[in-house]
Amino acid sequence: MRSPASGLQTASDPRPAVYLDHAATSWPKPSQVVDAVSRSLTELGGNPGRGAYAMALAASRAIFDARRSLAGLLGVPDSCDLLFQPSCTYACNLMLKGSLRPGDRVVVGSMEHNAVARPLARLAEAGVEVVVVQADPAGLVDPGDVEREVRAAPTKAVICQHASNLTGTIQPLGDLADIAHEYGSLLLVDGAQGAGHLDVDLAALGADAYATSGHKGLLGPQGIGLLYVASGLDLEEQAEGGTGAGASETLTMPTERPDRYEAGTLNTPGIIGLGAAAQLLAAEGGAFRRMEAELVRRLHEGLLEIDGFRVLGPPPGAPRVPVVSAVHDTVDADRIAFELDRRYDIAVRGGLHCAPWAHETVGTLECGAVRFGVGWGVTVEHVETALAAIAEIVT
Amino acid sequence: MSRRTPESFVVLGFATTHAALAAERLLLDIGVPVTPIPAPKGLGQLCGIALRLAPADAVRAEGALANADIAPKARTTMTDV
Repeated sequence: MRSPASGLQTASDPRPAVYLDHAATSWPKPSQVVDAVSRSLTELGGNPGRGAYAMALAASRAIFDARRSLAGLLGVPDSCDLLFQPSCTYACNLMLKGSLRPGDRVVVGSMEHNAVARPLARLAEAGVEVVVVQADPAGLVDPGDVEREVRAAPTKAVICQHASNLTGTIQPLGDLADIAHEYGSLLLVDGAQGAGHLDVDLAALGADAYATSGHKGLLGPQGIGLLYVASGLDLEEQAEGGTGAGASETLTMPTERPDRYEAGTLNTPGIIGLGAAAQLLAAEGGAFRRMEAELVRRLHEGLLEIDGFRVLGPPPGAPRVPVVSAVHDTVDADRIAFELDRRYDIAVRGGLHCAPWAHETVGTLECGAVRFGVGWGVTVEHVETALAAIAEIVT
Repeated sequence: MSRRTPESFVVLGFATTHAALAAERLLLDIGVPVTPIPAPKGLGQLCGIALRLAPADAVRAEGALANADIAPKARTTMTDV
């Protein structure tokens, strides 16, 4: 690791002393994940589904097991309904572009990340009517506001994140599912900041589709995302290609899941690493989430104890995912992030966090925010170190 | 020079690798020996992994798969010489 005092940006080892950017990606990965990825690369190198020889079969079985582990963790009764995608963004694109057609109308909350906002902008150009419901200043979408819009005109889908990557606000998905289904609409969810950090039971949640990242709260490697699609929802596939099985002589994609939505060679190391993470979270997820809540509480309180900070999102003690973003009266968010890195070897993110809608909603579009994301491996000492450094920077 | 007696097998083909592996797992769990093999031409257009099993186990195996809603897409018999 770099010496906190040296500030040497050219050091060969870029690992920070304190990592508080878990909302962007989890790090360090649990040893179980590292070991599983390593085993995939060294022992399971065959192409899954593309051969019946021992190493290809072993890779296929490892992916089968990973899918089942993840389905168990996320409350998906039939693991075929849980699709591997290159990222949560790709999963969101499939979820939205696979279900919406010109002439459809959707109602969406104003806290969405660009993984949803940008596909919706493209769909709007193609003739989808996009109605944005303004969240409150803490980032919470009011189900009453959503119902008012859904009742106003036939609506194909209600679209909402599980939790905000900016404010940590947890959205009322259960209420939104009830509203959507009462009016014959779908509920489509971007769960990038939800799965892993929250106890997710997709069968009970009522979402018709739920996209999530594999490398954030779920602790897997980068380059792997998930899309749950309820069994009754007929998404149109967005990519065609080989699947390794089924009727290869036809030029159309198979209708069966998961192959219909998984054209091309899968990310075997990513999937197997994510499967190992799922097993770890199934065993230790409760303790993990309790630890995160305690760290968030201390971080939130500590920031408010420093003069000039406004913390975005829910008030102290209220439920949130482990994301705490703040703005300071006089010191720019970007500068705080830069100084934390250069002077203290602490990794956080400043700026707009790929969520301009959310920044506009909470009034930080012009100034951005400095974001602290806690997760696996973060300790109370890390949080106290960061708070002390922040106090020095802004004083 | 001894000659091996030709042995007959039932071969089941599936729509997806996931289904083939789910079937393999189920059948092994209930004590039906199966061997994954490359899908033979006898299964028509199906490619990927097929499961080979003894004819004596076929009725039991196919019943268990149907009950679990992972019924094969195609079925054939083949003789190994």
